[in-house]
Amino acid sequence: MDPASDTLVPKIVVKNFSAFYGSVQALHNVDFAICERKITAMIGPSGCGKSTFLRSLNRMNDFVPGFRVEGSVTLDGQELYAPSVNPVLIRQRVGMVFQKPNPFQMSIFENVAYGLRIQGVKSRSVLSDIVEKSLRAAALWDEVKDRLNGGAFSLSGGQQQRLCIARALAVEPEVILLDEPASALDPISTARIEELMQDLKDRYTIAIVTHNMQQAARVSDRTAFFLDGTLVEVNETTKIFTNPEDSRTEDYITGRFG
Amino acid sequence: MAETVRPEKGLSPFRKVRNLLLGSLTAIAFVLAVTPLLAIIYVAYDRGKSALSLSFITSLPAGFPVGIEGGILNGIVGSLILVVIASLFSVPIGIWAGLYLWDQSHTRMAKTTRLFSDLLLGVPSVIWGVVGFYVFSTNTGYGFHWGFSGLAAGLTLGFIMVPIVTRVTEQALHDVPMSYIEGALALGASRFQMVRGLAIPAAITGIGTGILLGVLNVLGQTAPLVFTNYYNTGIPHSLVGSNGSVGDLAMQIFIYIHEPSKELHVKAMAAALVLTVIVLLLDMGIRLLAWGSRKYAQKNG
Ligand SMILES: Nc1ncnc2c1ncn2[C@@H]1O[C@H](COP(=O)(O)OP(=O)(O)O)[C@@H](O)[C@H]1O
Ligand SMILES: [Mg+2]
Repeated sequence: MDPASDTLVPKIVVKNFSAFYGSVQALHNVDFAICERKITAMIGPSGCGKSTFLRSLNRMNDFVPGFRVEGSVTLDGQELYAPSVNPVLIRQRVGMVFQKPNPFQMSIFENVAYGLRIQGVKSRSVLSDIVEKSLRAAALWDEVKDRLNGGAFSLSGGQQQRLCIARALAVEPEVILLDEPASALDPISTARIEELMQDLKDRYTIAIVTHNMQQAARVSDRTAFFLDGTLVEVNETTKIFTNPEDSRTEDYITGRFG
Repeated sequence: MAETVRPEKGLSPFRKVRNLLLGSLTAIAFVLAVTPLLAIIYVAYDRGKSALSLSFITSLPAGFPVGIEGGILNGIVGSLILVVIASLFSVPIGIWAGLYLWDQSHTRMAKTTRLFSDLLLGVPSVIWGVVGFYVFSTNTGYGFHWGFSGLAAGLTLGFIMVPIVTRVTEQALHDVPMSYIEGALALGASRFQMVRGLAIPAAITGIGTGILLGVLNVLGQTAPLVFTNYYNTGIPHSLVGSNGSVGDLAMQIFIYIHEPSKELHVKAMAAALVLTVIVLLLDMGIRLLAWGSRKYAQKNG
């Protein structure tokens, strides 16, 4: 690991952030920073607001009727929820991988090329290069290089999820958000995704939601514990799992509830 | 690896009986679904076979009473004209409205629009016909003064088709999984790009079905034609004015059956068989088209 890995450079800074679905408040005054080239894990019992928080970081909740936010989220200092900001451009910089693999009903090649095509890239050779690079980065290239024109649904669940990661990488985002990306996968596929995240963290800022504490402990540099829509504690992962400051965190990681 | 399970072995007698029962219910449902279609084809063929020949679909009605000789080319051409006019009008509007209702589904405006569209679905076609008469056909009072004409009837039928296409388009779009849509948006697709590149291709089979349902409805309508077009034994030279009426298969069957002539009854049943075959061919054509466009979308994005 490089010596710089101990310095924390905030990439996304969240201040006094609250989120509402209609009249229901899902997040209460969260203060939090996601640091550059680190893996930040978010843990907490189901329904505590992890997905809501994650989806607020690339404005995916904009499509939920009645959703609204208060407070501030900045990406490299730029206010995400400012009226002048185009959320489409934010989503190109902050990519997302979902719980259930959701490849498009297209060929493997076209799945990875989709994000580039919508940006207007037409050159076949440029597309081919980036598709190959992205599939390699997602550790999927060797398995699919002979059937790039085959349908994405012919892949296994784990392969589909790595395809979705490749698809997200192809548009060269700065941040990748993963919402329980392995919860629908078998242990071997899960291990591959976790390895992959280690490979990716040299180049990307990664935030992962997981309800699997072992996974958070294995993959992340920093861990945040959410409970009932509030951020209870965020710290270095080793600290959270060995010596948490808040007794509720300790209760959760020792399995006393959740 | 899951072990292979052999369903028949080691089942309790109760399970066996239940499987048999459910199996036979499925078979009965199948028979119930298939019988009417076969019955229609059989009866129409049996009653109309003596009139069937190639010239039946390539020549115009002749003789006296008109139709005793010749064929039903006027009806085939007229029905085609009506379907084309009705579709040109209703497909763009219906798809646009369906997209709008899907996209804005929670707004009050969309809810009101949906309510009205659904109410229109229930308006009896005879009422559309009467309104079409006053709006398009009548030569006195307000309206377009197009006379009994293909354009008047085509647009009236188009109005009947719009809520059908709207309804089915919206439903087909709602059936596109949310995860699919979010996948595209998370890659930085604009809403428009997502709709055009993903949602519509994914819903295309459903939208095609909606258009088909509308077209089939139009093909079977007679009541609106009674007031806006009536019938023409020849090929029209114009779509409006005093010579603007078109022939129509459903009207032709309706008129022939009402004539006190055995020969015309036979011709009516032969025409019914032709209409049924056209409907079945259209159905298969649309399915093929939907299938093809999905294949194309899979390949080319
Ligand atoms: N689309 C939505 N509409 C209304 N309430 C929602 C919606 N999504 C989530 N919620 C509510 O917000 C809270 C947090 O949910 P979520 O962020 O999905 O939690 P987690 O990902 O930690 O399980 C829950 O109480 C949930 O019911
Ligand atoms: Mg969640």
